[in-house]
Amino acid sequence: MTTDDKRCVITGLGMICAIGNSVEQCWDSAMAGKTGIDHTKTVSTEGCYTDYAGEVKCDTLDTKENKHMDRVTKLCIKAADEAMADAGLKNFGGDARTGIVMGSCVGGVVSIESYYTKEKTEGYIKQMPISAIASQVGTHLGVGGTCCNIANACAAGTISIAHAVDLIREGKADVIVAGGADAFASVPFAGFISLHALADEPCKPFNHSSGLSLGEGSGVVIVESYAHAKKRGAKIYCEVLGSGVSSDAHHITAPHPEGEGQMNAIRRAITNSGITEADIGYINAHGTGTAKNDAAEYLSLHTLFDDTNDDLAVSSTKSMTGHCLGAAGAIEAVFSIKALTENKMPPTVGFTDEDKEAVKERAGKLDVIPNLPREKQLTTVMSNSFAFGGNNASIVFSKDKGNVRTEKKPHGVVVTGIGAVTPLGNGAAKYVEAVKSDAKVEGGSVRSSVDTTDYDAVGLKMAFYRKLDRFSQLQAVSGMQALGDASYAITADNAVDIGIVIGTSEGAVGVGCDFETLIAERGNAAGSAFKFPNTVYNAAGGYLSICSGIKGYNVTVTNGAQSGISSIAYATTLLRNGEGKAILACGSDENSDIINELYSGLGLVADGTTLPYSGKGKKVTLSDGSISLLLESEDTAKARGARVYCRVKGSGFAHKGVPFATLTGSGEALDLAVKNALDDAGMTIDDVDAIVGMANGNGTVDDIELQSYARVFGDRSIPVISVKERVGEARAAAAALGAAHAALMLHGDIKKDSCAYLLDKGKAKRKAIDCGKLNNVLVTAFGSGGTYCAVIMSKN
Amino acid sequence: MDELKIKEGLKDFFCTNLGIESDALGYDTPLFSEGIGLDSIDSLEIIAYVDSTYGISMTGVGKDPFYNIDSITKYIVEHA
Repeated sequence: MTTDDKRCVITGLGMICAIGNSVEQCWDSAMAGKTGIDHTKTVSTEGCYTDYAGEVKCDTLDTKENKHMDRVTKLCIKAADEAMADAGLKNFGGDARTGIVMGSCVGGVVSIESYYTKEKTEGYIKQMPISAIASQVGTHLGVGGTCCNIANACAAGTISIAHAVDLIREGKADVIVAGGADAFASVPFAGFISLHALADEPCKPFNHSSGLSLGEGSGVVIVESYAHAKKRGAKIYCEVLGSGVSSDAHHITAPHPEGEGQMNAIRRAITNSGITEADIGYINAHGTGTAKNDAAEYLSLHTLFDDTNDDLAVSSTKSMTGHCLGAAGAIEAVFSIKALTENKMPPTVGFTDEDKEAVKERAGKLDVIPNLPREKQLTTVMSNSFAFGGNNASIVFSKDKGNVRTEKKPHGVVVTGIGAVTPLGNGAAKYVEAVKSDAKVEGGSVRSSVDTTDYDAVGLKMAFYRKLDRFSQLQAVSGMQALGDASYAITADNAVDIGIVIGTSEGAVGVGCDFETLIAERGNAAGSAFKFPNTVYNAAGGYLSICSGIKGYNVTVTNGAQSGISSIAYATTLLRNGEGKAILACGSDENSDIINELYSGLGLVADGTTLPYSGKGKKVTLSDGSISLLLESEDTAKARGARVYCRVKGSGFAHKGVPFATLTGSGEALDLAVKNALDDAGMTIDDVDAIVGMANGNGTVDDIELQSYARVFGDRSIPVISVKERVGEARAAAAALGAAHAALMLHGDIKKDSCAYLLDKGKAKRKAIDCGKLNNVLVTAFGSGGTYCAVIMSKN
Repeated sequence: MDELKIKEGLKDFFCTNLGIESDALGYDTPLFSEGIGLDSIDSLEIIAYVDSTYGISMTGVGKDPFYNIDSITKYIVEHA
C-alpha cells in the first residue's frame, strides 16, 4: 500500500478546448457526445485538402493584462486560474514549496506567425519559445519553486503531470500546477497537411482512422502531496499513482508498428502504480485517428489487455476536442479524472450504425464507447499519450491508494560519460585541451560545427543524419560521444533502462521559424514534410533515441539557459527513484542565421567578444553547442566497473517571477535555488569549494550573480569559474558545460583554470584556480523570467 | 523533355531539400536503400516536387518509379 508520505492527489481541475471554456462546459459537451471540430476560419486553407480543426471559442481570453502574451499562454492562464479556484488556492505569493510544470508542443507559434506575416517586433520574439508559458503562468500564480516546461510534443501534457508527481514524492514541492497548452496556428496545420496526416472529415479515431483533426486548448491539474491537501482540508478528486515514459527508438513521426514503446510505457505505469491490468476500468486513449496510430494502439491494447481484462472501456476524446498536441495529455487527464469521479465515461464520437458494426472486429472485447457516454463504477483509470519522436507516456489515476513503487533508499547518482560539442572543438578531450591551452572564442556570434569526422567517430551514417536539423545534429553527436566516453553499450536487454533528458532554451524555435517562412511565402498547402517533424523541440531527443537505441524515459525540458542543468536535476530525480539505471542529461542550443536574427532583434548580440563581469552592457557573445553527461545510479556504475567523474549530490530550483525575457529583480531566487540544492545534498554553504557560474557579460546577469553570492557567502571569498568566457553564451549548452567542467575538475582532468575569478563581497577579481583541492562544486544557471537552478557536484 | 535536366533538377532537389550528400548520390543509386535511407516522409516531398515542377501527380503510383533518379525521370517523361 502506498504510504501517506508518497501519496499524491489531484485537488483542482481546469480546462479550455473546442468543446468548452471550463471543465463543466467541456464535461457537459462530452457527455452529450458533442464535437467541437468544424471548418476553421482562423488560418488560410487555400489549396489544402481539408479545413477542419477544433478551435477554442472564448470572448474573455484576451485581457488588458495579457495582451503581450502569446495565445498559448492565455489559454494556459485560463485553465490554470480555473484549477486554482477549484482547488481553493490563491496566489502562492512566492512560496518556495509551490511549482509549475507545463507541457507544450509548438509553444508561441502564433507569435512566430505574427513575426513573419505582420511585423518583426521584439514583442513577438519574446513570446516565441515554449519557455514563456510556465514562466508567465508561474509568475501569474506566484509560484516560488520549480518552473519548468515539458516540450515532448503530444505526450507533453501527460509527462508534465508525471514529473510533478515525481518532484512531490521526492520531497521537492508540496503543490505543483501541472498540465499543458497549445494554440492552433498555421505551422501545425500546414505541417500536418504536408504529412497528409489530417483527416478530410472530422477525425474518427478507432473507426475510419483516416487522419487526425487538430485542436487547441489547455488542461491543468493541481497536484498536491496528500499531507498538504489534508492539512488545508482540500477537496480531493483522486490519487495519482504511477506513470511510465518510454521511447520507441524507431521513427521520428510514426509509432512503432508493433506498439513496443507504447506497451513499455503502459506496463511501466502499471508496475509503478502497484496494480495489475485487470484493475483498470477505463483508458482515455491517445486515439488520434491516423491509420498508423490507431493500428499500433489497437495492437498494444489487445496485446496487453485481451487476456487480462474482460471489462475494459477505451475512448478517444480527441474525436470531440481535436488533437490539442501538448495540451492533449493534460486535457485527457482531466477527462479521465472526471470519468473516475463521476463514474461516467466520455464517448468516441463519429460512428454511423454501419461503423458500429464494422468496429466490432477491430475492437474485439474493448468497448470503444461509440457516440454516447457510458456509466460504469470506476476505481482506476489510465490516460495514454504517444508523441512525435517516438515518445510514449502513460499515467494512472485512482480512488485507491495503490501500491506505488518507491525505493527505500534513494540511489546515489554519478557521472560516467561526457560528450561535448562546443565552438572550441568536439569531444571531452578536445575541451580539456582547450582549457589547458587557454583557448577562447572570438567575436560576437560564434558557432559549433559537426562534420563527417564527428559522425564517423560515433557511428552515424548519412542516411540518418541527413534528416536532422542543426539542433538535433549537435545533440546526436554529443549524446553518442557521452555513451562512448562511458563505454556504455546499449543492448536489447538494457535499452529500456536508459533514458534521455534534454534541456534547451530555444529548442526548435529556429526550425519553426524556417517552416513558417516557407508557408508564409508559399501558402499552407506547401509546407515541407521533411522539415515539419523537426519543428517539435523533442525531435532531437527522438533522433538520439533512434541512433542510440535508447528505449527508456525520454523528455525535453525547456525554461531558458538553466534547462542545461535542470536536465541533470530531472535525471537525478528519476535515477534516485530507480526509474532507469542510466540517463543522458543534456543541454543543447543552436546558433543559426535565424536564431542570430532573433537575438539581434532583442539587442543582445555583441559586435565583438564579451567577457563576464566586464561591464554594464546588455550584449553577449551568442554561441551554441551540445553537452551530454551520462548519469548512472551508483550501484549500476560500480557493477560494470565504470570510471566515475564525480557524483551529483543535489539540485534546487527557485522562481521569482519578473516579466518574461527579463531578469531584473529576481536575484533572490538564485539565493534560494542554491539553498535548496545544498539542502538536497545535505550540505551547508561552507562545503562549497567553488562555483561554475552563469555570468555572460550582460550587466543584469552578472550583477544578479555577484550580489546573490555576496548574500549567500557573506564575508567568505569564493572562486567562480566562467565557461562562457571560453565558449560564449551557448545558453543550455553553456549551463550543461558548467556541469561537465565541474566533473572534469573534480576528476582531475582539468587541473588549473585561468578563466576564473575570486568573488569577494560582490566584486569579481580575476584569479586562476587550482582545481586539485576541490571537493564540492556548485553549478548555477538562470532562465528568462526569473527561474534559477543550482546543482552540487562532488568528488566523493 | 531534356532527361538530363530532369535528373540534374532531381539531384539538386535531393541534396538541397533532403540533406543528401552529393557524392553519395548517382542517378542509378537506390533511394530507399540503407545508404541514402529515404522513407515515407521523403516520398511525400518527392511527390510534392514532381507535382509542383512538372504538374505530374505521383500519388499512389507504387514503389517502382521511386527506385532511383533514373526511374523517377522515366516516369516524368512518360507522363509529361
